[in-house]
Amino acid sequence: MNPLPLSSQLKQLLPRGRILDSPAQLAGYAADALGYKSYLPDAVVIPADADELVGFMKGARQLGVPVILRGAGTSLSGGPVAAQGGVVVHTSGLKRIREINVEGFWCEVECGVALNDLDAALKPHGVFYPPDPSSGPVCTLGGNVASNAGGAHCFRYGVTSNYVLGVEVVLLDGSVQRFGGPAGGRGPWREDWKRFMIGSEGTLGAFTRFWLRLLPLPEKVWTLRATYPDLRSIEAAIHALVAHSSYPAAIEMLDPRGVAMVETSQMAVGLPKGSFMLLLEIDGPPALVDARVGPVADLLRHAGSNDVVLSDQDAMRQKLWKARKAAGGLLGQLSPDYVVQDAVIPKSALADVLQLVYDEADAAGIRAVNVFHAGDGNLHPNFLFDSRVPGELEKVELISERLMRRVIEVGGTLSGEHGIGNDKSAYMPLVFGPDSMRLQWAVPAAFNPTHQLNPLKVFQNRRFAT
Amino acid sequence: MHPKTPLPDYFSNCTHCGFCLAVCPTYKLTGDENNSPRGRLRLWSEEAAGRLPQDKWTDFYTDECVGCLACETACPAQVPYGELFEHTRHDHVSAGRSKPPLALRLAAAAVARPAWFNLALLPARFIRSLGLSIHRFLFKGRPALLQSTAAYARELMQQHRPTGPRVAFLTGCLMEAAFREINFATVRVLIENNVQVVIPEDQTCCGAFQEHSGLAGAEPLRAQNRRAFLPLDVDAVVSNSSGCGYSLGKSLAPERPVRDVLAFLGELGPVRRERAGSRARLYVDLPCHLVHGQKAAGIPQNVLDATGYSWELAPNARDCCGSGGVYNIQKPENARAILAGKSAFLNEAEGAPVILGTSNHVCMMQWHSAGATGLVTRPYEVSHIIQLLDPGAGFAVRATAPASAPC
Repeated sequence: MNPLPLSSQLKQLLPRGRILDSPAQLAGYAADALGYKSYLPDAVVIPADADELVGFMKGARQLGVPVILRGAGTSLSGGPVAAQGGVVVHTSGLKRIREINVEGFWCEVECGVALNDLDAALKPHGVFYPPDPSSGPVCTLGGNVASNAGGAHCFRYGVTSNYVLGVEVVLLDGSVQRFGGPAGGRGPWREDWKRFMIGSEGTLGAFTRFWLRLLPLPEKVWTLRATYPDLRSIEAAIHALVAHSSYPAAIEMLDPRGVAMVETSQMAVGLPKGSFMLLLEIDGPPALVDARVGPVADLLRHAGSNDVVLSDQDAMRQKLWKARKAAGGLLGQLSPDYVVQDAVIPKSALADVLQLVYDEADAAGIRAVNVFHAGDGNLHPNFLFDSRVPGELEKVELISERLMRRVIEVGGTLSGEHGIGNDKSAYMPLVFGPDSMRLQWAVPAAFNPTHQLNPLKVFQNRRFAT
Repeated sequence: MHPKTPLPDYFSNCTHCGFCLAVCPTYKLTGDENNSPRGRLRLWSEEAAGRLPQDKWTDFYTDECVGCLACETACPAQVPYGELFEHTRHDHVSAGRSKPPLALRLAAAAVARPAWFNLALLPARFIRSLGLSIHRFLFKGRPALLQSTAAYARELMQQHRPTGPRVAFLTGCLMEAAFREINFATVRVLIENNVQVVIPEDQTCCGAFQEHSGLAGAEPLRAQNRRAFLPLDVDAVVSNSSGCGYSLGKSLAPERPVRDVLAFLGELGPVRRERAGSRARLYVDLPCHLVHGQKAAGIPQNVLDATGYSWELAPNARDCCGSGGVYNIQKPENARAILAGKSAFLNEAEGAPVILGTSNHVCMMQWHSAGATGLVTRPYEVSHIIQLLDPGAGFAVRATAPASAPC
C-alpha cells in the first residue's frame, strides 16, 4: 500500500490535471442523472488530456481504491458513481474531435466530446453520426459507448455498437490497447474485442478515443405526428408502421400523461388533451420520401387517428423533437424525483405491459408517465416520487420489480440503452441463469481481475477487494 | 454565525438531466461539474439540507458563476436558477463568505446616489468627449458633459412634439454617468418614430448592480423605482440596457412590464437609415439578460434591417461574452477566457468597417476590451444597436402614424 495520502498520490499521477477532494468538490459528483441515489467519492480527477488519462491509469492500481469513469453524468442507471467510494475520473478534458474523414465516412473523437458538438462539426460536411440519445446536448461519446446508447432514431439506424469502428482503451495494467480502428472490423486482433468494450459500463478499462462510422445526411425528412384516443388504436398504428415498407427512422410514443406534461410546459406543441401521441420520421431522397409520406399518413389515419400533422419544415421538426427529448427534464415540473425503466419487450406485448404499468402505479398511488421508443419496444415508464417522503421510493422499487418480472415473462429484457449500472443490477438474475451470469462475470474478471474499475455495477456483488 | 434566510424549495424541480452543463460558460471553461448550474444547485441544496457543512469551495463555485442565465433557457424543469443564485450570493456576501472587490463596493454605494455618481464620473465623460479611451472598458463615444438625458428629452419633446405612444424611459446609472450619448441617441430615435418620451427624474439605479455583486441595498432602489414609474400614465416603460431592463422589470412586476426599447421599436417598425454603398458589416451579439433574462427571442429583425447595414448574428450570439454585469471585474481571468472564445471571429470577419452591435452597455464594455487587451488585433467598432438607428441632430418626426401603437 502506498504510504502517501490519496491526494498526494493523485497529484503525482496528474501534474497538469485537476484534483478535487474537499467535501464541497465531491458533492457535485455524488450522483448521475438518477439524482436521488448519491455516493460520495474519495476524490475526483479531471485529466488535462488523453496523455494524462493514460498516465493516471498506469498508476491507478497502486491507489488501492475503486476507479470510476464519468462522461457528463447524464446516465440514468447509476453507472458513473462511486458506489464503493474511490476516485471518479471526469473525462471533460478529452474533448478533441481529432479527424473527420468525409471520403471514408468515419471520424476520430476523444471520449469527452459531447454528442451534439460532434453533430455540429459533422453537419457542414454533409455527414452524420446516427445514435441520438436525448441527452445529446451534453452527454459524451465515452458515456455513449460505455452504455451502448440508443435514441429515437435507432429504430432504423441502430444503436451505438453499429457505429463504433474502433476503440482505444487503457487497461489497469497500464497498457493502451486499440481494438479496431478507422477500417473497423477486428483490426489486428483474432476476435472482434471492441464489441466487449461497447456497453461495458466502465468495468473493463478507460476509453481514450473512438473511430466512429458516419452516414450521409438524409436529403429530406418528413416529420409526422398523430394522436390517438386509446392505447389499442395507437398500438395498431405502431404495428402497421413497423411492418410498412416506408421503414420510418423513428417511432416514438407519448402517453396522455406525457402529452399533458408537454402541453402544460413551455414546450407545448398543441396536442389534444387526453390523447396518445405518435411521433415519427421518414427520411431519404426527396422523390422517395415525398412518394411515401402520403401512404404513411393514410396508415396513421386508418389505425384510428383523425389528427395527423405532417411537415417537411425544419422548424416544426425541431419543435416536436425538442419537446420529446426534454421529457426527462420536464418531469421536474411534476415531481422532485423519478425513476425511469428501460426494458425492451416484443412489440406484441406493448399494450399488455403498459396496462400493467398503469394498474400497478395507480394501485400504489404513484404517477407513471410513458415517453418511449415505441418502434423498438423500448419502454421508458417514468415513475414519479418524492424521495423525501418515507415509503415512496420503496413503492417505486416494488412496481419496478413487478414490471421487470412481467417483461421477462413476455420475453423482454432489462435495458435497451441506459445500461444496468447499480439501478438495475438487482434484476440481472431475473433475466440470466447462473451459467449465463458466470460467463458475463468472466469478462470484467479478465480485464479487471480485482474489480477495481466501477465496482458494484452491472453485477450486484461485484466488489473491489484490495 | 450570520442567520441564513431559508432557500425556496425550487431545487426539487431539478432532475439532474444536465442540459445546463452544455450552455454554462464556467463548465465549458473548467470541465468541473461543481462549476456548472447542476453542480452549484447540488452544493446549495446539500448545505441547505444540513448534509454539507459550509465550505470555502461552495463559496468559490458560487462566486465563479457569471449569472448569464443561459441555464434557465436550457432547463426543461424550469428551475429558477437566477433567483436561487441571487439569493445564495446575497447570503454569502452578507455573511462574509464572499467579498466583492473594493471598486464594486464603492460603486454600489455610489449608484444609489445618481447625482453624486454623475458628478464622480464627470472626468470619464470628459475624457470620452475628447474622443479618448484610457481604460479597456471605456469604448469610444461623445457624451454630453453636463446636460442630463432628462433635460435633453424635454428640449426635444418641446421642439418636435411627437403624438404617438408615450413611454417612460429608464436612463440608468452607469449608462447616464458614463455612456450618456447612448441615452441621447435613444431619445432621438424614439421621438423620430413619433414616440413621446417621459423621463421620471426621481428614478434611480435599477438595483442590478447589487443583484450582480450580492451587496445589500437593492430593496430601497426597487421601492423608489416603483414610486417613480408605477403612477405614470404611459403606454410602456422602456430600457435601452437589457440588464437594467430585466432588473427594473422584476421591480415593477406584476403591475407593469418593462420593454426593451428595441423590441418596442420593432413593433412600430422604425425609420430606416440608408447606407447605400456601405461596405460595413454588422455582427449582432445578443445580451444574456435579453435572451435568457427577459426571455426575448432576440433583437427584432426589422430593427436590425432598419440600421441599413448588412448584418448577421455573431457566432454563438446567445452565449455570454463574459461581461456578466460585473463579472469581468470580479473574475477578470475567466471573463477574458470566455471573451477570447467569443471574439476570435472578429479577427477574420468581413466588412469595412466591422461593427459589433449589441444592446447592453456592459456587454459593449466587454467587447471593447477584446481590442484593448489584444484578443482582437484588427480594428472594429462597438456600438449599441440604437445608435445605428440614430438620425443625429436635425431630424424630423416621421410623417405617418405608427402602424400599430402598443397599448
